Amino acid sequence: MNLLFEKTKEVTQTLFPVVLLVLLLCFTVVDVETDVILRFVIGGLLLLIGLSVFLWGVELSMNSIGEHMSREIATSKSIYKIAFLSFLLGFLITVAEPDLLILGSQIENASGGTLGSTLIVYIVSVGVGVMISLGVFRLLRNKPLNVFMTITYGIIFALAILVAEEFLAISFDASGATTGALTTPFVLAISLGMSKVTGGKQSEENSFGLVGIMSAGPILSIMLLSILTGQKNIHGEAVEFVAAEGVFSPIINALPHIFFESLMALLPIVILFFSFNFLKFKLKKDELSDIIKGLILTLLGLVLFLTGVNSGFMDMGRLIGMQMADTNHWLLIIVGFALGLIVVLVEPAVHVLGEQIEEVTGGHIPNKIIRITLSLGVAMAITLSMVRILVPEVKLWYFIVPGFIIALILSYRVDPIFVGIAFDAGGVASGPMTATFVLAFAQGAADVVETANVLVDGFGVIAMVAMAPVFSIMILGTAFRHKKVAYPDIDDKTVITPALVEEEDELVHNCIMVVVNRGFADKVVDLARQSGAKGATILHGRGTGEYGKLMIPIINFELQPEKEIILLVTGIHVSEQVANNLVNHSKLHEDGEVEVYISPTEAMIKNVYDDKAVDLVGSES
Amino acid sequence: MEMLFFTVLNRGKANAVLHQAKEYGAAGGTIFYGTGTVQSKLMEKMGLTETHKEILMISATDQLCDDLHKILSENLNFSKRNKGIAFTIPFRRWKPKDFEQGQEKTTNRMEPPYFCIMTIIDKGRSRDCVKAARAAGARGGTIIHGRGAGIPTDFYFPLVIEPQKDIVMIVTTKDKVTSIREKIISDLELEKAGNGIIFILPVIKASGLFENRLEERKGVTP
Repeated sequence: MNLLFEKTKEVTQTLFPVVLLVLLLCFTVVDVETDVILRFVIGGLLLLIGLSVFLWGVELSMNSIGEHMSREIATSKSIYKIAFLSFLLGFLITVAEPDLLILGSQIENASGGTLGSTLIVYIVSVGVGVMISLGVFRLLRNKPLNVFMTITYGIIFALAILVAEEFLAISFDASGATTGALTTPFVLAISLGMSKVTGGKQSEENSFGLVGIMSAGPILSIMLLSILTGQKNIHGEAVEFVAAEGVFSPIINALPHIFFESLMALLPIVILFFSFNFLKFKLKKDELSDIIKGLILTLLGLVLFLTGVNSGFMDMGRLIGMQMADTNHWLLIIVGFALGLIVVLVEPAVHVLGEQIEEVTGGHIPNKIIRITLSLGVAMAITLSMVRILVPEVKLWYFIVPGFIIALILSYRVDPIFVGIAFDAGGVASGPMTATFVLAFAQGAADVVETANVLVDGFGVIAMVAMAPVFSIMILGTAFRHKKVAYPDIDDKTVITPALVEEEDELVHNCIMVVVNRGFADKVVDLARQSGAKGATILHGRGTGEYGKLMIPIINFELQPEKEIILLVTGIHVSEQVANNLVNHSKLHEDGEVEVYISPTEAMIKNVYDDKAVDLVGSES
Repeated sequence: MEMLFFTVLNRGKANAVLHQAKEYGAAGGTIFYGTGTVQSKLMEKMGLTETHKEILMISATDQLCDDLHKILSENLNFSKRNKGIAFTIPFRRWKPKDFEQGQEKTTNRMEPPYFCIMTIIDKGRSRDCVKAARAAGARGGTIIHGRGAGIPTDFYFPLVIEPQKDIVMIVTTKDKVTSIREKIISDLELEKAGNGIIFILPVIKASGLFENRLEERKGVTP
């Protein structure tokens, strides 16, 4: 099974329910023209191909780019360079985001021209740049994310009191607009790369959170802009809706425009990477050609995906929304719930995030459970949005503010990795599918319901979709809560210097494999070094042992605790010492559930002399 | 005698296999992620160089290992290409009581039919390693990402840089093991300090290997 096949299968599984539901609606309650249905099916096909190719490209290129870039940033020796580089990164990827440009012109229209779209784009980009910068500092300093987020959202809520409700919706939407299909995987990769470089005990939880931090940037900047310019009210109406005609012509017409936009969005990342490659990394041909292939695939996939969504899904969403709101309000709410359940899974970044979580936690947090949680969260969000459109008394902040406050309180009670995942999930869920299909659906509904305002109520949907996953993943996180374990301190007394067997000119080696609970690997290495081992390599996995099961209640899902596997190659004269010390360490035994395996091995260092042999193994460290 | 049973599977299969193994009496297992290599040149040109794999490690008695080999070969179609492999390495479980018994050494030097070559190198060089191994007759390998134990460094922030490592795991027959090893050592310049280490583990039994399939085919057409 190769990568492309894997991706295609994954996308098909998630896309199929969406197509099925929409077609079902088309043949029963919703009356749409054949043209629109045909276009929807073709759009779905484009989406399938596009998303598969896109995910494949992202996997090839983004992770390596992210890793190299973040290494460059993290290993800077001056604080200004770190600040500048990370600001630049955030600014450039945002300024080129096509969604943001659209949002900018919408605000320009809505504010009657007082706020220019260019100004908005720049202000938002600066906001993102500053937040990324702060986020990088947080990561490098190892400051807890939950405190950081509490402060950030504290400021946001304080500003929210001063801001008019319309702007509240727009500013939360701006955050949805900046976390586009390209920026999210890229920032995820930066976050992952940065935490890999910095390492340490918090490396795992630091792999997430940067997207969440980044998406606070636009909220802050739009709010500030509105307060500073005194802009309070939004007037004007959305443009009259006309469904496009024909089957192929709208798709073909959209293509060049979307190609240009996607290219613009990808360009800053490409330029930044290649100028750095030219100056600093100087990657080998093999790796570079992979990255170039990946970037081309990413662009190609993105164009197909966006074309499919824009020309095939948007009109369909709009029409469904309009007709549902017209016929039966209860049905509208139910359809909203169903759409929320399945649409979020087609978001490109959801796939990227899920895979990254599995990779980082060694499968301890399975992709499946993250997806279920996201689905439920977004379904709730869209349901509540529909209620809000139908009942004008219900305001947006009734949901947004309590949602975030509960999430923030929970963030002190969950496993730290979930704080990052939750806030990232907010940005991840509000991607291009939400911005087109779901938004069109909501606007369609708002169009028909007389008390609703297309502009304001439509905007609020993205804000809701961005908030709900934060909330739902935090709740999931409480189920994953680990027993707090004090990691053992290794005191120097245990050092028993092994009798060096120097007379043996042929060094025979043992391979020791240690399986231990997550977090104990460094202690194992310390202990092994004190007993005479030289270097170690640590792998990350999950496992079930003889120690009973951990179950998540209600859904009856078995949790496999995270494990670390340590590989040591030691001379035979010290290996028993190492093994004994590891097995007999009481703390390791009780909390670490340590298992030690030994096998004789024929190491490469066989005919090199002792000194050098030690050096070679030692270089592992 | 207790051993470690390893199996390399397509991603997503490990849970089911572990579940099955438990029914046959395995106490538990450890799973970690790796990537497999692709054979075809065309795929490689397109950038499809990796397939996602899962590696499942079960501590088991030799009886159980044999059972597992049999079950997996049947259920997962190991006789076909790219379905997965399984092998047994005589890792001895070290228990606290061994401390008293002490010096009991592994006396019987076995003559295993297969070997597992483990190469630990800096991240990014795994493909070179697989290339070298292929040139010397290996059929492919599994790459696992890991990290070296940390060393504190002096950047603006007091970071503990943890070097990223790739572990390349190649299971091969006895006759090829030396040539593959030598080829990897010379191509990756492992004789120089700091370039990586290579070590070989004995493999008692393996199934799903290319060589296994070869034997089977021979068996059918004598």
